[in-house]
Amino acid sequence: MNRRTLMLSAGALALSARAARAAEEVVIGLVYPLTGNGAQVGLDAKVAYELAADLINGAAPPIDTLMAKGGGLDRLGGAKVKLVFADSQNDPQKARAEAERLITQEKTVAIIGSYTSATAATISQVTERYEIPYISADNSSPSLTQRGLKWFFRPGPHDEMFTKAMFDFYKDIAAKTGRPVKSVSLFYENSIFGTDSAGVQRRMAQEAGIAVAADIKYVANSPSLSTEAQKLKSANGDVLMPSSYTSDAILIMRAMNEIGYRPKAVMAQAAGFQEPAFVSGAGALAEGVMSRSSFAPDAVKLRPAIPAVNAAYKARNNKDMNDNTSRQFTALMFLADAINRAGSIKNTALQAALKASDVPGASLIMPWKGIKFDENGQNTLSNPVIVQLGGGTWHTVWPFDLAATEAVWNVGT
Amino acid sequence: MGLIYALVAAGLSLIFGLMDVVNFAHGELLMLAMFAVFVLRGVSGADPLLLMPVVALLLFGAGMAIYRGLIARALSVQFNRGMVQIFVTFGLAIFLRGAAQFAFGGEFKSVTGHWLADRSVNLAGVFLPLPQLAAGVVCLLAFAALLAVSRTEFGRALEATREDREAVALIGIDRDRIFALGWALGCATVGIAGAMLAGFYYVNPNVGTSFALIAYVTVALGGFGSMLGALVAGILIGEVEAVTAALFEPAWKQIGVFGIYLVVLMVRPRGLFGKL
Amino acid sequence: MENGILARRRRELITGAVVLAALAVLPLPIADVYTRNLIIITLLFAGLAQAWNILGGYCGQISLGHALYFGAGAYVATLLFVNAGFPPLIGMFVGGAVGGLLALLVGWPCFRLSGHYYAIATVVVGEIGYLLFLNWDYVGGATGVYVPFKGDSWLALQFKTQKLPYHYVTLAFAAAAWFAAWLIEGSRWGFAWRAVRDDVVAARSLGVRVFASKMAAAAISGFFTGLGGAIFAQYVGYIDPESVLGGQFSILIALPAVLGGVGTLWGPVVGAAVLMPVSELSRSYLGGSGRGFDLMLYGALIVVVALARPQGLVSLLGRRRERARAA
Repeated sequence: MNRRTLMLSAGALALSARAARAAEEVVIGLVYPLTGNGAQVGLDAKVAYELAADLINGAAPPIDTLMAKGGGLDRLGGAKVKLVFADSQNDPQKARAEAERLITQEKTVAIIGSYTSATAATISQVTERYEIPYISADNSSPSLTQRGLKWFFRPGPHDEMFTKAMFDFYKDIAAKTGRPVKSVSLFYENSIFGTDSAGVQRRMAQEAGIAVAADIKYVANSPSLSTEAQKLKSANGDVLMPSSYTSDAILIMRAMNEIGYRPKAVMAQAAGFQEPAFVSGAGALAEGVMSRSSFAPDAVKLRPAIPAVNAAYKARNNKDMNDNTSRQFTALMFLADAINRAGSIKNTALQAALKASDVPGASLIMPWKGIKFDENGQNTLSNPVIVQLGGGTWHTVWPFDLAATEAVWNVGT
Repeated sequence: MGLIYALVAAGLSLIFGLMDVVNFAHGELLMLAMFAVFVLRGVSGADPLLLMPVVALLLFGAGMAIYRGLIARALSVQFNRGMVQIFVTFGLAIFLRGAAQFAFGGEFKSVTGHWLADRSVNLAGVFLPLPQLAAGVVCLLAFAALLAVSRTEFGRALEATREDREAVALIGIDRDRIFALGWALGCATVGIAGAMLAGFYYVNPNVGTSFALIAYVTVALGGFGSMLGALVAGILIGEVEAVTAALFEPAWKQIGVFGIYLVVLMVRPRGLFGKL
Repeated sequence: MENGILARRRRELITGAVVLAALAVLPLPIADVYTRNLIIITLLFAGLAQAWNILGGYCGQISLGHALYFGAGAYVATLLFVNAGFPPLIGMFVGGAVGGLLALLVGWPCFRLSGHYYAIATVVVGEIGYLLFLNWDYVGGATGVYVPFKGDSWLALQFKTQKLPYHYVTLAFAAAAWFAAWLIEGSRWGFAWRAVRDDVVAARSLGVRVFASKMAAAAISGFFTGLGGAIFAQYVGYIDPESVLGGQFSILIALPAVLGGVGTLWGPVVGAAVLMPVSELSRSYLGGSGRGFDLMLYGALIVVVALARPQGLVSLLGRRRERARAA
């Protein structure tokens, strides 16, 4: 008990101090894997967050999108946003310890994280106990928002929404081309991400009357996936639906090619397939691969701010924004907006502001309809899109009204 | 795949059998070799196959340096030598992983565009990818070379040193030099395996760990110090993996491999070709 | 002679009691949660390393598969709590018992192997355990198990933001493991095990039952490791195969004992007290740079300590004491 009262009084102290010093800093903690497995995702995320913070604080040329006009948080007297990064090494125990350190030592008003769902599971338990908001920028496991947490907010879609988009796409493209999907092959790693994703895919395939030709679970980071490829080949479903991280994504594409198998269509649960390393590593083999995405990089007509944000990001990291980095960017912008609306860094005020969020989609760089949470902290307005790789870049192909390019659809030919 | 396992394991087995050292940095040496290919290819643009001797030489040097710098010292300690060896190489593994990340970043890289890439020959419906095929051939050649080396005078010196450390000193063989050469040779073998692997695999600071475990199992299965054992065990493991994955769920394939290993060890506690 | 040994053992017990008392009051002036967390993790690993030391140090069997017993303890205690409402304060002993039983089960075939063959076999057994849990849906598979938070409770070992109760739980754990090692050192078992470690053939000719000695050491070691796993699970509040059964964990358990000094009472404690802070602090303050500095530092430290102090860090303390006595 004494720990909490101390915490609260520290918060109150900071609050009264804020009145005295006008342009104070608002500290936001970020927990990501910065070394070990998944380090690259964390390092890319760092660039995206730093760009977002610079845009908020006016350290980068302003862009016409949510909170990117510079000048800090105007309702907090122009307070600047300060980011503190912590390394989770993709280890749930370390993620927990780091989240606790950020809250108690760095006095962060909120925490954003964390790439993998296993680390999000422990971080969000810490934030729940300390009553600090956790913004889940890029964790997509549905189970995270089914625990009834009061301090957990996910602006992006979860895997169930993503998977639904895939099956909606199958329906729409069948109506358009007259060539429906009759069977799918599921291919997924045995992690919280892979098994959750495949579970939803299995259910939805059944509901849509689509046969599951193959259901293959594999061990992540295997030295070889050639037997798995062989199984996929003999099942030969209309669409291959993989849920894998980068290393396995590259490996399975190569393994399939080595045995002369090319699926008619690949519909990936993003993750590894959306990493630039996959595009360069799989080369020509990656052409035509489809993926769900929460980001439509070419939906410029709908979201005119995208080119400017992407250009600023590319100038810093020498690669385009992708599904992950755009969600991370958006998460910080959205959090800053919520802090601003709360007009205070007191935890309950911030929680209320987050809960009351009703951000119009047009102010974001995402194709979403907006940000509005249900009682579990899940944004109900974040509709995903389907993108396809053509000529080494991703093009939005669904929903058709957002699409800049026609989908290449080989199923049924 | 079995042949690659065999070659990765062969280097380990050499070091293992020679001086009774478990090298826990073995996977990281493989990773270093792969990065060496990646860097050299970026600089020279030469094909990974041509780079192979260069990488093997580099790793030869690295092995020598590691022996002189660390292992010789670890061998000379008076107190619980076995554990010091394990944990010196384990610390080295962590260090190398950190260093690779420092130098190259955590990104997944691929060596692309060499002349064998993504090609395969179709032999009556069985697809044989050329990079793997070439890797297989090179592995067999490397094994032949290793076996040949063991017939030379140096090979006999190695053998003798392994058999009786004190006695060889009496007949004028410099134990330290032999050990250093053994290490260098073991590392060069890993270099060759890494160069071949880089042709069709991704490169990343953590890539070694997934191969290392298989390598330990291969060595123990084949019997410490036995080249032939490593070869047979490597191929066996590749096959068991394929059969388990085909018969059951692929997620169980490693359990299949480990299961076979444990069964064999129950029957032959020193591996298939180990001296009893 | 006899008296000398008894006096030494009494002195060690007194030292232990003093250290225990010091550690009991240590967290009181420290308000900082992060530092307290660090001490808790250190104590937990001191206990785990001591458990490993009982088998690896006293009995000389280098096990690199202790994550299996750790994970089993964590899963058993947690599942009993989540599925049957069985309080973890008692459940952790069940977890420990399962850990001990597993150690016997693993030991039965593996103790026939010697040297490196044994070490590699334990790695493989640990890995099989990891893969089994990963594919076993009843225990949550890859998704892992969330421990639901139901308010502060000693019975459930759950505390909202308090660290102090966990401090005393882990301290009790480390102290119990230490005391077990102390008892073993002075018992007939301890002599038998050391004989097995030093020379199997000689031990057998002295009438020591080698296999039984190894099994007994394994059971005690497995019990304490499982107990530690159960405590860890309640502390972290979420377990999945990766974080409690992964191969790296086996090494993490053994490392403090080896660097601190194997087969000694204080080695695991000293090792944990040095290693855990270095690992945690280097990650927190260097890991944020994202360039692998923390790993380089940690790896280099292990190499340097292992080479410069093969008998473990604890020998530094011992030597000073000897010198003091000589003077």
